Amino acid sequence: MEMVSLAMGIMLGLCGVGAGIALIAGIGPGIGEGQAVAAACEAIGRQPEAKSDVTSTMIMGCAIAETTGLYGLIIGILLIFVAPGIFSGVLKSTVESLADVIK
Amino acid sequence: MTKLDPTVKKETAYIAVWVIALSLGMQAVFLLLRRWALPVVTGNLVGAVCAIGNFLLLGITVAKAANGPADKVALRVRSSMTARLLGQAAICALAVGLLHTNVYATLLPLLFPRVGIAFRPLVDRKRGKTAETEAEGSDLLD
Repeated sequence: MEMVSLAMGIMLGLCGVGAGIALIAGIGPGIGEGQAVAAACEAIGRQPEAKSDVTSTMIMGCAIAETTGLYGLIIGILLIFVAPGIFSGVLKSTVESLADVIK
Repeated sequence: MTKLDPTVKKETAYIAVWVIALSLGMQAVFLLLRRWALPVVTGNLVGAVCAIGNFLLLGITVAKAANGPADKVALRVRSSMTARLLGQAAICALAVGLLHTNVYATLLPLLFPRVGIAFRPLVDRKRGKTAETEAEGSDLLD
């Protein structure tokens, strides 16, 4: 029984670590978005009459880039709220089947 | 209070329409699967508000960056993106953890704006065709 609770603890800890690692995915899009907007500002500076088109395309491009970060966010939240339930169910069934085999 | 850029307003309205339409579709799927309940509705509401709010804030940040001085633009956008992402994570985690909303109904609407953007070229093409036919009609009338 102690082994099971130890395994559960390790599993919960790893889920938390995994969620933290998944949120690192937010760094890349942030850098990319920053560079894209900086380049778009230069473009608007060169051609002020195209400001509306450039802004519209830039917003859509940023939203697409941001989706990558959102994938990480979704995986992180699923790891915190959904994965422990699934893993603990798998762990319990494994322990029960092992106990049956030993008996 | 500063006025919203018309481009930001237009794009946010477009995304909001897509998020609402896809949210209704998601509710229908939950209903068909016989999993429809109050947590699904509250989760969908939280997710949809998060998705639209995130897009609106993104638009405001980008429009401000485009209108404002060019220095530190990249840094401002990067910090805005981090703040928005962490805010979304906090809101969704609080909704799921405290309000006990459905996890999938809360998280899926965050990806709906991406679907709307993917269909953008089709919508633009249709709009272009309509504008062309309208222009041809006005030419014929002239």
